Amino acid sequence: MPTPTLTQTLVIALIQAILVVIFIFVIVPLTIYAERKVLGHIQLRLGATRIAGTHTGLTGLVNRSMWKLGKVPVLAYWRGIPMLVGDILKMILKEDVRPTKADRFVFFLAPSLSFVAAVMAFAAVSFVPGTFFTFPKWVPLVGGLPLSGGMADVNVGLLWILGIASVGVYGIVLAGWASNSKYPLLGSLRSGAQIVSYEVPLTLSLLAPVLMSGSLQFSHMATTMATGLPFWGIVPQMLGFLVYFTCGFAETNRLPFDMPEAENELVAGFHTEYSGMKFGFFYLGEYINMAVVSALAAGFFLGGPWLLPFGLQGLVNPYLPAWLGQPCALFFVVKIVLLLFVFIWVRGTIPRYRYDQIMAVAWKYLIPLALVNLLLAAMVRYLAV
Amino acid sequence: MSSPATPFIPLLILLLLALAVGIGILWVSGWLLPRFLKPSNPQQAKLTPYECGVPLFQGSARQRYGVKFYLVAMLFILFDVEAAFLLPWAVQFKSNLATFWVMIAFVATLLVGYVYVWGKGALEWER
Repeated sequence: MPTPTLTQTLVIALIQAILVVIFIFVIVPLTIYAERKVLGHIQLRLGATRIAGTHTGLTGLVNRSMWKLGKVPVLAYWRGIPMLVGDILKMILKEDVRPTKADRFVFFLAPSLSFVAAVMAFAAVSFVPGTFFTFPKWVPLVGGLPLSGGMADVNVGLLWILGIASVGVYGIVLAGWASNSKYPLLGSLRSGAQIVSYEVPLTLSLLAPVLMSGSLQFSHMATTMATGLPFWGIVPQMLGFLVYFTCGFAETNRLPFDMPEAENELVAGFHTEYSGMKFGFFYLGEYINMAVVSALAAGFFLGGPWLLPFGLQGLVNPYLPAWLGQPCALFFVVKIVLLLFVFIWVRGTIPRYRYDQIMAVAWKYLIPLALVNLLLAAMVRYLAV
Repeated sequence: MSSPATPFIPLLILLLLALAVGIGILWVSGWLLPRFLKPSNPQQAKLTPYECGVPLFQGSARQRYGVKFYLVAMLFILFDVEAAFLLPWAVQFKSNLATFWVMIAFVATLLVGYVYVWGKGALEWER
């Protein structure tokens, strides 16, 4: 295999970056769509499960023209799509209101920061260890070179993800401060304190996979946790997975712990004063963070890109299809999607905690549990390896 | 073309791309689209801070707030530094019983502080 030159490295990196951004901009609207539909079915909300457009306007055009062609309109099959499109259009086209007292630069900086931080955290996630695909020979400049399965599978990947995820807190705190309004300020302080509190058990619970694999590189950790152990990571690390996923809910401000949406106390939390695309960036950042949390959980606890659990990959014999034992980016994405479904499911079923309960859960229960889990992991590692 | 910094090149590229995408979208929706499509109808009441419909009570929101949040931040730094010290240990831990006991001693020392903080009531949100 030829060693790539600097130009080729840069071009491949650019292609990877574009792929990551495309992946994000595909999975986020799909998650929003799925969230509306699933919540609609769980809580009997009538809109998202029924709406198929109208007789007038854009959706009416689609419906009428498809009836004319003698076909049942596509909007009748994919109910809720007009709602998603309306959401996105409204986000882009709504008037941008900036209160006169707001700090102009920081008011603009905060949503960009939370969006960029969320995207950057996705960079260290490796979808499949090794090569994703090799460019065909006819491609100019980069033909014959491999595209690795991770965007930047750096040797401090987990540290990078944790560090960049912490930058997201700045987006929230700055948004509250820049608005120069009381509800956003209180909301951002509460969200900031909550995220900061849950960061400790989050890091402690992620230490267990680090300890069991002896590395911080995402692909190496996923490989070890999926194939190096007799089981998937979730079997010896059930406690760690539960602690991690609970913290994941709190870190992304999702429903049992969603302070920003505690309407009865804080109006809308830190993004009360935001509208239009600036609000949309907070929305995007939240969903990207959900995908990152799911990706870490899928990689470390649910066997990453491997399909077969319990070390059965080694037992695949020539009579079985070969892909059963091979890592595949598709399996990884399916696991991410399943975990995103769990996020939505929990939102539909579990009511919100009170604020003092949220803080008590983090400091009094999750930190001791995470430390016990770490001890457990050290014992497993000591006895098993 | 291989140095220890090579794997970090994509991160730099992604940072630039994410900044470009972010600022681009904000520019299009904040400057370009208002010229053509978006409504722009600023009114004085619309531009005041949101107060649930009540007339503005105090001019500025930049006032003092609960010391509780500072306490949480300080505790966070303590325990996050603990986690940061645990990270290199976790990477290097290879069935090494000696480092295991060292780390138990370290965590136990911190747990004394944890119990003290709990006993003082710093973990209770309302007292």
